[in-house]
This record gives sequence, C-alpha cells and structure tokens, in this order.
Amino acid sequence: MTQMYNFLQRLSGVTSFAMTTLMALVVVISLTTPLIPSDPTQTLTLHSVHTTTGRKMDAYDVDSKNAEYARLTFDLDADLTSMFNWNTKLLYAFITVDYLSDDFSTNTAVIWDRLVRNKKQAKLKLRKHHNKYLLRNFAKTFEGISDANMTLHVNPVPYLGIMYDTPLDSIGVVIPRAVKSVEKS
Amino acid sequence: MDFMAQANKRFGVRTLLVQGLTLLNVLTSAFMIWKGLSLFTNSESPVVVVLSGSMEPAYHRGDILFLHNGYSPIDVGEVVVYKVKDKPIPIVHRVLKVHTETETGKQYLLTKGDNNPIDDRGLYSRGQLWIDRSEIIGRVKGFVPYAGMGTIWMNDYPQLKTGLLATLCVLSLFSNE
Repeated sequence: MTQMYNFLQRLSGVTSFAMTTLMALVVVISLTTPLIPSDPTQTLTLHSVHTTTGRKMDAYDVDSKNAEYARLTFDLDADLTSMFNWNTKLLYAFITVDYLSDDFSTNTAVIWDRLVRNKKQAKLKLRKHHNKYLLRNFAKTFEGISDANMTLHVNPVPYLGIMYDTPLDSIGVVIPRAVKSVEKS
Repeated sequence: MDFMAQANKRFGVRTLLVQGLTLLNVLTSAFMIWKGLSLFTNSESPVVVVLSGSMEPAYHRGDILFLHNGYSPIDVGEVVVYKVKDKPIPIVHRVLKVHTETETGKQYLLTKGDNNPIDDRGLYSRGQLWIDRSEIIGRVKGFVPYAGMGTIWMNDYPQLKTGLLATLCVLSLFSNE
C-alpha cells in the first residue's frame, strides 16, 4: 500500500508553501522598488512674502494674536509622472520652508502639500498660490532668522514595502529671502 | 507492546510535560524576538496596526506598519507613530513642523494626518502645542497592507478572540507533536 495523504495534510502543505512564497515576494518587492529609476522635473518661483500680525490665526495657539505670520505667493511647475511605477500608491508632494534662527539649529515647516494619486494628477501647475499652512516662527517674530530656503519634496508611498525617499528635488531651492517683520498697526 | 505502556506513552505525565515545555519554548522565543527587535529599533512597539482612517489614502485601517525609531532627529515629511503622555492610543501621522533647539538638541514637533483638515493640536494634551522626540514611538519604515485586519476584527468582535483561543486549545490537545 502506498502512502496516501489525507485532505488536511494536503491543505497544510499548500498553505505553508503559499505563506513562504508570499513572504519571499514581500521581501523581494520591498528591496527592489526603491531601485526603480525616476526622472521628476520641477520649477519653483517665489513672487512675494508678506508678514502680518494682530489677528488670532490659530485656535490652539495662545500667542497667536501677537505672533507674526508669513504669507508666501509662489508658482510651481512640476512633472512627477515618471515617479509612478507599478508599486506606487500615491505621491506626497510638499513644499517646505527652512531657516536658521538664533536659538534653533533647524526650523522646517511644511507650507503646502498635496496627495498626487495617479499619473493624470502628476503634472503640477500652481499659479500665485499661497501657503496652505500658517507659517510662524517658534519665537513671536521672524527677527533674527537667516538662510531661508523653499524646497519641493516628493515622497512616494508604495502599495507594499519599504518607505523610501527618491532623492529630493533639491533643485527647488528658491531665492533665499529674509522674512522681515512688517508690523501691521 | 503492553497496553499500559502504550497508554502511558500517549497520555502519560512525561508526554504532557514535554508538550508543555515545547509550548513554553515557542512562546519564549517569540517574546525574545519581539524584545530584541524593540531594542534594535529603539521602539517600544516596532510593529503596529493602523487603527484609524486619518492617514488615508496612504494607510488604511488594518495595515501593518514596521517602525524604526533609532536616535537621529526627526525630519519634516516623515510619517511617525507617537503617543502623547496622557493618552493611551498611539497615532500615525506625518510631521508638519520641526524646530530643533541648538543648545539642547530638543525637538519641537507638530504633526497632522493626511486626511485631516487641521493639525493635531486638538489631539495633544491640554495646552500642549508641540510633541517631543521622546513621545515618538517610531518612524514608519515599511508596511504591509491589510495584513492586520485580523487584529481589528478581534478588537471589534471579542467573541472572535475567545473563539480562536478555544479552537487553538482544542486543536493542541488532539495533536501528537
């Protein structure tokens, strides 16, 4: 009599093989997705920066009324279509402003962001856009800050696997400008 | 073989003890791996399940996230899991603002969920405007979608949890290994 396998044994064999294959696939996908090349292009131009104070801009911020808030007007042209590969769920594009100040070695704030969900939305064209998020210094005013930069970053979120950063679109370093304090009386 | 000896072989004290020891072996190895991973990533919980929809469409309820905390400072745009001191629930959101003090290296962080219209200040403790580096459990380094749905179901339907435990106990009693 030859050895006959019953149903449970076959099921267990198939399941364990499936699990092993799945895990191997997850590892391979995670390791290879960041290696897929991409070629995004972008142009970021800053029109103006306007600072105001005296209004309560933020509901949770107690100092809001006395703090200075900066409003930037900018244009953005970007082509992110090449960043969409088979494992890209969406792209998180955001513009940051970073600067140095007296007591702080880094100050970075996201002033605008967008979720790009597919290739059709990947051609960004913003004209005379304002910052989506309030920009204020940790201190009450922008006095004493220096070396301000505005950069576009794009973070791809894969369907599965390791989170990675395609090298920043650091070409987007725009005219460093001093965000001076302009008191609104 | 003699009937009594055969019975002893199957259900005797020795067999039970060996089974118990094997089970303990498996449990403690799993525990060791978990704690070892926690040490390596400097995170109290290196694997978490997404519970809310505030990071959709990037992360959905039931996704499993792999975290790595490390010791380096956090940067803007990173997705982090943090737990505010007084609140028990960890939250997965993106870092919106970072201010790092030159002298102490202390970081002031502001977070926001992609799917939320406003930042997280309403979720922090009363009067807290920034979260600290120490409140960060880890940054999201990798994820597997939907793999954590089991945990969510078990949380939503506790009968499932007891049912599963009962089934496992029954199965282990009848197995020969």
